[in-house]
Amino acid sequence: MATTTRTWRQVSARVRTQREYGAGFRWLELEMPAGFAAPVAGQFVQLLLDPPSPVLLPRPMSVASVSKKGTKLVVGFLYAPVGTGTQAIARLEPGSTIGVTGPLGQGYPLDEPGTPVLVAGGRGVAPLLMAADVLAKSRRRCEFVFGARTASLLVGLAEARERLAKRGSKLHLATDDGTRGFKGNVVQMLDRLAPKLAGPLVIYSCGPHGMLAAVARWAMANGARAHLAMESVMACGTGVCRGCPLPRSAEARDRVLATGADAAPLQGNPEWAMCCTDGPVFEARELDWDRVE
Amino acid sequence: MSHVTPKSKPISEKRVDLSVRIGKLQLKNPILTASGTFGYGDEYAHVVDLSVLGAVVTKTVTVKPRPGNAPTRVAETASGMLNSIGLENVGLERFRSEKLPRLAKLKATVIASIGGETPEELETLLGALGNEPGVGAFEVNFSCPNVAAGGARFWADPARLERTLVGLRRLTDRPLIAKLSPDVTDIRETARACERGGADAVTAVNTFVGLALDLDRMRSKLGKATGGLSGPAIKPLALARCWEASGAIGIPVVGSGGIVSGRDALEFIAVGATAVQVGTATFVEPEAATRVLAEMRTWLAQHGHAKLSSLIGAVQAPAAQEPAKPHA
Repeated sequence: MATTTRTWRQVSARVRTQREYGAGFRWLELEMPAGFAAPVAGQFVQLLLDPPSPVLLPRPMSVASVSKKGTKLVVGFLYAPVGTGTQAIARLEPGSTIGVTGPLGQGYPLDEPGTPVLVAGGRGVAPLLMAADVLAKSRRRCEFVFGARTASLLVGLAEARERLAKRGSKLHLATDDGTRGFKGNVVQMLDRLAPKLAGPLVIYSCGPHGMLAAVARWAMANGARAHLAMESVMACGTGVCRGCPLPRSAEARDRVLATGADAAPLQGNPEWAMCCTDGPVFEARELDWDRVE
Repeated sequence: MSHVTPKSKPISEKRVDLSVRIGKLQLKNPILTASGTFGYGDEYAHVVDLSVLGAVVTKTVTVKPRPGNAPTRVAETASGMLNSIGLENVGLERFRSEKLPRLAKLKATVIASIGGETPEELETLLGALGNEPGVGAFEVNFSCPNVAAGGARFWADPARLERTLVGLRRLTDRPLIAKLSPDVTDIRETARACERGGADAVTAVNTFVGLALDLDRMRSKLGKATGGLSGPAIKPLALARCWEASGAIGIPVVGSGGIVSGRDALEFIAVGATAVQVGTATFVEPEAATRVLAEMRTWLAQHGHAKLSSLIGAVQAPAAQEPAKPHA
């Protein structure tokens, strides 16, 4: 049982920069007030527009970067303005304010032994670049698999290439249509790559659920551990509303029934894990991938 | 409607007496959390001092643990949200052994929400919890819109409500608050039945049944077709139900539905609520309930009201403006 000491706060942050990032994505950087804990790779926050807001609920957004500018903590986000809320976020100018609740959820356990293989799909690249930075600090090189349907959806490829080169990590590109790198998906890339790597492998992945399910199944079939960052519609983001269930695997269900506990210390639901507090990062064996939507 | 409270000079906030009473339960102020929006209290304890709230109404507990509904469980709508959680909860045993001791440590006044598919299940819960020292009152959830059995439809029958409350009344000396569904022909009928059955108060109201579609996929946005609508979208609807209920019964009404500010809370008080619940606002802003409390105190001080309880039902309903009886 991972007993979580709650450290999240709701604060007002200042927009530092916001810009186009290519392929319809945007890059947002917020300057956090003192007292806001630095998120780790894989964690998320809830962004709440100041009133008058066109939406009621905050928007969950995964953290793409954490840095220090002087004494200030700066948190970066890579997002697609696809709905009313994120489109309103996209209109925020530098200097304006926005509410932030966080850091929320369980991030990647980057201290697991093994050869780290980072597997990104599309905009899922962001938290994994952050993870690569953390791994590099503990002198661990990683294999970085970056896949997308087509070359233009390899979001921020130039930056990824530059950052990974600095860290001595190796970038492997895959596109379904072969417009860049290996022609095929990330799982086919894993098949090609794995025999050349020293085992055991520990995979960290972020991307669309279909891709994550395929990576999870690959890991379980190949004796690797895999930590996958999931997404869900959410209301509160803090484990209270019980609004973001993901189906537990039979193995996880049995464990919760036996111990009566999960990461949200007072819940212990054997059927459903909550994306917000049990996740968003889950080890492959925790979820029933046949029932993940 | 007529406004009967005279304008007077501002007073110090320290002079404002916010205390109210529900049955035997004296509350230091009328701000409660709404069941299902504040967990078992301790989830927010690191950002909210639970001891300053009137009471914490805990997530509805059932005899057996419930895993809740399949996804998708929440969907945002215009100024509101739909939920179909399905009464996920830890069950009676863990509620008693884990949650109540934690709430006691946090010095919260606890109103335990209980739910059941049958009168017998409610009796089992009250038989077990009725004399718990850590529970100040019980709210009986007669109005969950998201369960197949024992939900709002089942409990919309006034005769069943009355009979059930008569049975429950024997099992505890703590106040019993009946939480009512707004989705009935006439909430005055269900409210009166609760009063006759021995309830000390009613909560008006739970969520409204609602539906949101994903037109591109030609299906509901929720895993189940419908859910319960909450948030600012329902405030005028809830206020009207609260007004109707409080005009029909002599026991206190706890107002609930879309409250996000001190002014919202005072509107419910003005139409007859003795206390109010802050719910969905907490999902947006974890500290919403304490902010509502502070805003309420400030408004009362600025308007020279030394006693909140004197404002309960301050807005009277002249006979000519009473809502038409739906099926007179």
